[in-house]
Amino acid sequence: MNLAVDTPWLLAGLLLTVLPLFNNGLRLTAMPWLTMIPADGVSLAIALLLRLIAMSAIAGLVLGLAGLHRTEQSVERIGQGAHIVLLLDRSSSMDNTFAGLAASGKVDETKATAARRLLTAFVAQRKNDLIGVAEYSTSPLFVIPLTENRQAVQAAIAATATPALSFTHVSKGLGMALSFFQEQPLTGSRIVVLVSDGAAAIDSDDEQKLRQWFKQQQVRLYWIFLRTAGSPGIFDKPQDSRDDNAQAMPERYLHQFFSSLDTPYQAFEAESPHALANAISDINRLENLPLQYVERIPKQDLSAVCYMLATLLVTLLLGIKCVEIKR
Amino acid sequence: MNEHLHYRLQWQSGAVYPGAHPGQMVGGGQLFKRHVPFIASPDPRRIDLRASVLDPFNGFSVRVYQQQSSIKLYLVADLSASMRFCGESSKQQSLVQLLLDMAYSACNYGDSFGFIGCTDRVKPCWYMPAGQSLERVKALAADISQAYFSGNAHGLIHATPYLPGHRALVFLLSDFHFPLSQLRELLSSLQNHDVVPIVLWDSYECDNWPDWGLVSVQDLESGKDRTLFMRPALRQKIRVAYAQRQMALKECFRAFGCEPLFMTAAYNAALINRYFQQRVA
Repeated sequence: MNLAVDTPWLLAGLLLTVLPLFNNGLRLTAMPWLTMIPADGVSLAIALLLRLIAMSAIAGLVLGLAGLHRTEQSVERIGQGAHIVLLLDRSSSMDNTFAGLAASGKVDETKATAARRLLTAFVAQRKNDLIGVAEYSTSPLFVIPLTENRQAVQAAIAATATPALSFTHVSKGLGMALSFFQEQPLTGSRIVVLVSDGAAAIDSDDEQKLRQWFKQQQVRLYWIFLRTAGSPGIFDKPQDSRDDNAQAMPERYLHQFFSSLDTPYQAFEAESPHALANAISDINRLENLPLQYVERIPKQDLSAVCYMLATLLVTLLLGIKCVEIKR
Repeated sequence: MNEHLHYRLQWQSGAVYPGAHPGQMVGGGQLFKRHVPFIASPDPRRIDLRASVLDPFNGFSVRVYQQQSSIKLYLVADLSASMRFCGESSKQQSLVQLLLDMAYSACNYGDSFGFIGCTDRVKPCWYMPAGQSLERVKALAADISQAYFSGNAHGLIHATPYLPGHRALVFLLSDFHFPLSQLRELLSSLQNHDVVPIVLWDSYECDNWPDWGLVSVQDLESGKDRTLFMRPALRQKIRVAYAQRQMALKECFRAFGCEPLFMTAAYNAALINRYFQQRVA
């Protein structure tokens, strides 16, 4: 309960709350000798209550004017879930269908649309997760940091509907995805979900760095490979040994690199929206470790409550004024 | 219009001046008092032959008669802030009425009338020595009806030195809203005189409260205030408190040989006349 006010100098008005101590608002009726009137507990209680009501009413008005609010605060919670970074491929091939064709009409769904639809559903399911979104194409795109705000994440995913860019620079994208976990407490599981439809060779310098970062941040990696019909898959072995290099088969080599990481890694090959849905539900099932996380509660304006209270109390005082005896 | 107060005495006035009340002096009266030797009252018209013949020393006995004497009449009034109370009737107006009626009656009887107004002391401006002029009383009454009373009633005790040395009829007008110990002290200082205590209360303060409601009452003397939640039970409590106070006051006054007169309505001369009729009987 961290309370604060917008205009602190108005709090000087709280001094006015002592006024009811001097005058209870009732008209004074003269009496020759008060000693003649016997002590009465009920009257005493009502007199006290009257002053209290008047003081609260003034305090309510002053606090309302000063703009009382509850400051933004963070609550520590424990739930089931993970820190998830969705790393989305924004290369232009994502705008093609699974069949490798440009989307025509409403019949075929592009890979990006399918991914968007299924990830949106995935995000909606994961109630307690912190989810961040990063994208990559020619260079990595910082979209949204790890947050519990579902709406923001959904909006970030929806934003991938804009036309994609050209290249696929996966190592920089991974670097950015891993950077999301810096300055985050190590609790629950940490996941990078890489959604891509292609791969690129990673040079040895980047390889070194990624190895180190994956180890440091203890991040699990899930790679959902949206395979276009006819293109080489992750698990395919080259028929010709001359093609067995990173330039010719980047998917295979990327998979090999990921498998050689010290952290758990799983690859899903999805040739259709249905397969993609299966892959996502697998991740959903796998990642349910206890998670300690901090939920942020936004600033709450309490001035309306103050005014309500003051109105109520003033109405009460008005009622009391009506039953006052006039002599 | 002023009404006449038929005040009667149960005692004999020691005053030399003739008046309307039984006195201790012998002189021109109707009521036979005693026989005295001729030498004591050398008036041959009053020689009682029968008594003189029966006298073994052959002296002349003369009849003497009781002289009707005047008395001094005083109104000692409490002019403290509590007398400012104005409920069903104004206590201040009752006081002025009584003052005028007493002066008028005293003038009719040929008595001299004085007024002592007290707050926390005897105020010189509210002190009027005994005399027979009506005009100055009227001026004083006009002053009092305009005055704003303040202070407490401690000055009543200091009124005694302003009263005459011999017995006088003293009307003590107050609401007697002060502790009984103070009242006892006051009454013992007035033992020399014939005291008629008039207790001026108002139905608004003791009885006439509404059944329900909220009221803030302020003490006229101390200025303290209290909030009361009026309800039948509290109303009954106040009534009982006033009834008990009335009993306590009666006991206190009777202990000093005087009967109080309670006035809870507006001033009424008939009430005072009835009081004197009952007292003599």
